[in-house]
Amino acid sequence: MQKQSTGYLFILPALMVLGMLIAYPVAYTGLLSVTDNAGNFVGLENFRRVLAARATPIAFWNTLWWVLGSIIFQVLFGVMAAILLNQNFRGRAIVRSVTLVPWVVPGIVAATTWAWMLHTEFGIINYMLTAPGLIDKPIGWLTNGNTVMPVMIAINIWKMFPFVAIMVLAGLQSIPNDLYEAARIDGASFWEEVWYVMLPQVRSVIVAITLLLVIWALNHITIIYAITRGGPANKTLITPIQIFRTAFDGMQFGQAAALSVMFFGVAIVIVFIYIRTLASNPEEAR
Amino acid sequence: MSGKTSKLTRPGLPGWLILVGSALLVLVCLFPFWWMVVSSVKTLRELYTVPPIWWPDTPTFQNYSNVLFQSNIPRYFLNSVIVSAGSTGLALILAIFASYGFARFKFKGKPLLQSMVLVAQLLPTAAIIVPLFITLRFLGLVNTYWGLILVYMIITLPLSVWMLTSYFKNIPVELEEAAIIDGASRLECLFRITLPLSLPGIASVMVYAFVTTWNEFIFALCFATDSSVKTLPIGLAEFSTEFNTDWGAVMAASVVMTLPIAILFLSMQRLFVGGLTAGATKG
Repeated sequence: MQKQSTGYLFILPALMVLGMLIAYPVAYTGLLSVTDNAGNFVGLENFRRVLAARATPIAFWNTLWWVLGSIIFQVLFGVMAAILLNQNFRGRAIVRSVTLVPWVVPGIVAATTWAWMLHTEFGIINYMLTAPGLIDKPIGWLTNGNTVMPVMIAINIWKMFPFVAIMVLAGLQSIPNDLYEAARIDGASFWEEVWYVMLPQVRSVIVAITLLLVIWALNHITIIYAITRGGPANKTLITPIQIFRTAFDGMQFGQAAALSVMFFGVAIVIVFIYIRTLASNPEEAR
Repeated sequence: MSGKTSKLTRPGLPGWLILVGSALLVLVCLFPFWWMVVSSVKTLRELYTVPPIWWPDTPTFQNYSNVLFQSNIPRYFLNSVIVSAGSTGLALILAIFASYGFARFKFKGKPLLQSMVLVAQLLPTAAIIVPLFITLRFLGLVNTYWGLILVYMIITLPLSVWMLTSYFKNIPVELEEAAIIDGASRLECLFRITLPLSLPGIASVMVYAFVTTWNEFIFALCFATDSSVKTLPIGLAEFSTEFNTDWGAVMAASVVMTLPIAILFLSMQRLFVGGLTAGATKG
């Protein structure tokens, strides 16, 4: 009874905008990656150059480190917070709202505030650690090559674990009550209930969120860029920032595009795994 | 919520653990903001003292007056409002039609187009920033409101389509079928029946899209290099170098930037969380 063409008319304007803003630039990146700045075809020269650059392997390992470090603890702390918030206690609604705050505030605000708290001489964090004698002298968190990446990861964990918490909480609250009752009849303790009832039931939610977090960790470069721009000495240089700097600081659009193509290839694989995961468990994922 | 099941005493976390856990959670989440506010009302001398002062004897509003009257922040604030509102509004209009098309029609290639929308939402922005920049420069849209509004549609449009489609699908189609029998057109159905029933969905899409664009940093950094169009996040980043990092002013500017989001979030929290859970995991 419904004409096909009417459906197309409804979605056409949005598709045109998305095509112009996304499909065209993606195709254009491919073209840029095989041309030099003057627009001449150079084959795989850009790829060769960018792969030979000293910063590329550094950025690759940093990216891996950044993504893994971030998501493991985001999921861990997020699930812990969700289990806590799934309890019935007074003031739960307030604690739940407060938990979301780090996720809602602008990334740049989080970056500047943490940068000030981590200030070597006057930062509150060094004071809180030196005063009770936990460390002897102030640490240059953002200037020391050994601490700067873990600190960036910690800020990212702080920023994103609330999202995991709220999504897992939604999953926990949709677990049917009879599952708990069955566990209770078997005399399960609280921790057994967590392990055998709650976690298996929200497993698909956790898998979906983990993939989403990987994509976001590759996407959200605000914290690192605003605090260190990839420094000191490339210690926090991750691939998206390398693309950014190759293009806008180095004006090497071709090489930046070559790097983008490779980065895009990896990202699209993760995106497709995510979509397949969503599609394979439509019932549980809600 | 637990009225009927309360007689079944569920084993739970011990009370002290809930207390400690909640206290820790609140502290970790809120301390940076408290420190931000405290730092914003300190004088320069009070900021640079060891041990730190937990609350200044006489809070000063000098930092706020610097930010509000002697910097570009008010202008950036206005720019942010224009860009975020423009992009959210435009995306919403396009998304209403597209979502209606996805929710109510069957046509060839629909699943493919829908998953393309999802892919668009998840695309790594860094990978398309270079060609976008070249395209915008070609169109003469770098450093214009329109340029930023368009670019932000990359973020807001797929998201809005995805969230609204699931809202529209939940509205019984029978209502529209009845109207069609009475001679209503498709557009009348959309605007008279489906839209009024999806106001909560639309509100949550708007809040979500507005907040995301308000917070966005990297696109703004690339496509708005002139102070006539720079948005707040760029202004804030600039502050640290422009004033040789006057931390009091940076913290005051951070408060100014966070306040609208905090108010919006606290007043619309239910919608925000509802829209979020619908958007991210519903297959």
